[in-house]
Amino acid sequence: MTVARSGSLSANVVAFTRLLRQRGLPAGPREASDALRALATVDLLDRREVYLTLRTVLVERREHFQEFDETFRAFWGATEEEARPEVAPSDGTAPEGPAEAERLLREWLQAESAEQGEGEETRETPGYSPAEVLTRKDFSALSSEELEEMTALVVHLARRVATRMSRRMRAVRRAHLLDVRRTVRRSLRRGGEIMELLRRRRRIQKTQVVLLCDVSGSMDLYSRFLVQFIYALQHAVSRVETFVFSTSLTRVTPALSDAELSRALDRVARTVPNWSGGTKIGYSLRQFLDQYGRRLLGERTVVIIISDGWDTGDVEVLEAAMRQLNRQSARVIWLNPLLGGAGYEPLCQGMRAALPHVDVFAPAHNLERLRRLERHLALPR
Amino acid sequence: MHPEIARIQSMLGGEGYIADREIATAIYLSMSLRKPLLIEGAAGVGKTEVAKVMARALGTALIRLQCYEGLDATTALYEWNYQKQLLHIRLTEASDRSVEQREQEIFSEAFLLRRPLLEAITRESPPVLLVDEVDRADSEFEAFLLEVLSDFQVTIPEIGTIRARTTPYVVLTSNRTRELGDALRRRCLYLWIDYPSFEKELQIVLNKVPGINADLAGQVAAFLQLVRQAKLEKTPGIAETIDWGAALMALHRDHLDRETIEETLGVLFKSQEDARLVRTQWLDLWVRGLERLRAEARPWTQALVERVAAEGALRR
Repeated sequence: MTVARSGSLSANVVAFTRLLRQRGLPAGPREASDALRALATVDLLDRREVYLTLRTVLVERREHFQEFDETFRAFWGATEEEARPEVAPSDGTAPEGPAEAERLLREWLQAESAEQGEGEETRETPGYSPAEVLTRKDFSALSSEELEEMTALVVHLARRVATRMSRRMRAVRRAHLLDVRRTVRRSLRRGGEIMELLRRRRRIQKTQVVLLCDVSGSMDLYSRFLVQFIYALQHAVSRVETFVFSTSLTRVTPALSDAELSRALDRVARTVPNWSGGTKIGYSLRQFLDQYGRRLLGERTVVIIISDGWDTGDVEVLEAAMRQLNRQSARVIWLNPLLGGAGYEPLCQGMRAALPHVDVFAPAHNLERLRRLERHLALPR
Repeated sequence: MHPEIARIQSMLGGEGYIADREIATAIYLSMSLRKPLLIEGAAGVGKTEVAKVMARALGTALIRLQCYEGLDATTALYEWNYQKQLLHIRLTEASDRSVEQREQEIFSEAFLLRRPLLEAITRESPPVLLVDEVDRADSEFEAFLLEVLSDFQVTIPEIGTIRARTTPYVVLTSNRTRELGDALRRRCLYLWIDYPSFEKELQIVLNKVPGINADLAGQVAAFLQLVRQAKLEKTPGIAETIDWGAALMALHRDHLDRETIEETLGVLFKSQEDARLVRTQWLDLWVRGLERLRAEARPWTQALVERVAAEGALRR
């Protein structure tokens, strides 16, 4: 084995574990000590064996294999057969650096400082009229104070949607199981005569919600609000998985799980590579199905897609992905902010291809419409 | 290679399980570090088999806990023998023993039914404990399992704490229908089993399908490699490959042609949608791929099969 770093094996293993930790693998002192114990029992001259041993001990999910491999090569040095050419980003659009993405996100979310003036209120959409109450106001036309108020409303709404969902579930699932243990115990008091059957409650099944949110350029106006909505919903309902997509898909559930919104938003910015690029809805959905479908989809899953349906990718891919999504979940809801605009017809190709596989197609341009979503979220049973 | 890993590999081979180095190394480490082994991978790649073969190779018992939604501690750990308890109450009715005494009697070890987890930690010699499809149990159960796996002791309120006599070898499998908690993951060593390579699958077919000739086995294994390039709802696993081989043998086929494949498609593809997709989109391509392969010199290799698949635009 070519030990690339000087010092003892244990010092190297600890340094290697730290490096993995920096790259996001949850490897700590315990793992490092396990790794050392493991290495003591294998053939250290066999590079592949060392590699497999460290991977078995230090990695805990397949998604981290790639990071592990890269770190392993970087730290312990690559042998010729293992050295693979680095794959350069093939599509001409170079991914934005994290700093750039962060900057974009900040601008996009904390527009308060930039858009303080009343003169900015000119960004109206057809549905907007100053006389309308806040709940009917188009999201794209909100001032910063209104946005704050709106955020509070959205959080409230999301909570209500969440409790309503679980209450319904409780009411219909009255099927109780006989608790024999407690029944027998109770009967002892009456000399073994069973006078009363004790039951235990069946656990309440929660609905899994999957949110797929379009953050591409054509959705910019709405995205600011949508992140708030996603964030609020995720905090109110325990089983929400959130993904954002434009040309590809990113899971942002962990990034949004921070208690503090601003920190959470920073983290979203760091994890999303294609902020406000073009849209490849079909490709992104395909990516979701392949990577997460097995785990997240099922008969208790409600999928919510938030997008305007402007797809610059392959329509066939979109159609196939939508069909599969529909078949493998309980309900597919498509929220389209453009639907609120007067005279909007879902004419763009992507939207037309997706529509047959959508259970609920609803506007999402103001709060009143969102409130109506509630009844679609609860699953019968 | 460490001699013990080599021994495990050949031991597994002797049991008819073709184990590559990753699998043998993980099993070895799990045994030598005495840490539970978490095995993930697509359905049908032989995750459960690892535990079964491990038990046979170690010459020890296999205790299996099949997980399902709603599985709770009671079912997994212990249960009281209610019939026996009720009977006992009746039989002692006439006695002058107090209620407390009788209660103590019926909640003693004699009335205890050991479920897999309790069974596994009270054996004289360490068994292999297989916690199968742990992703199907809910997260509460996962937390409970974690507790048992860290302390190897369980507390039964009526009796007290039972400590493990020996630490079992623990194997957990998951099909990833639910994301497992980080705490459980960190307790375990990790093994990901992928679909087998062409060479490995060929070995499996030769081993597991009695009487199959090398030529047909090669075609079967190569065909499955082509099949797995396609995006399907349910990709056929090793079990399907073996079943298919057996079906071909039962039909006395000694090579694969379009007709034969179409006749036996149901063995490989079990959803209607997949069967339809295969018939309309993929079968022609695969048959052509197979023909192209036949023109190549034997023995075929993974690299060759992959090249043919790439040339034929078989990937989606």
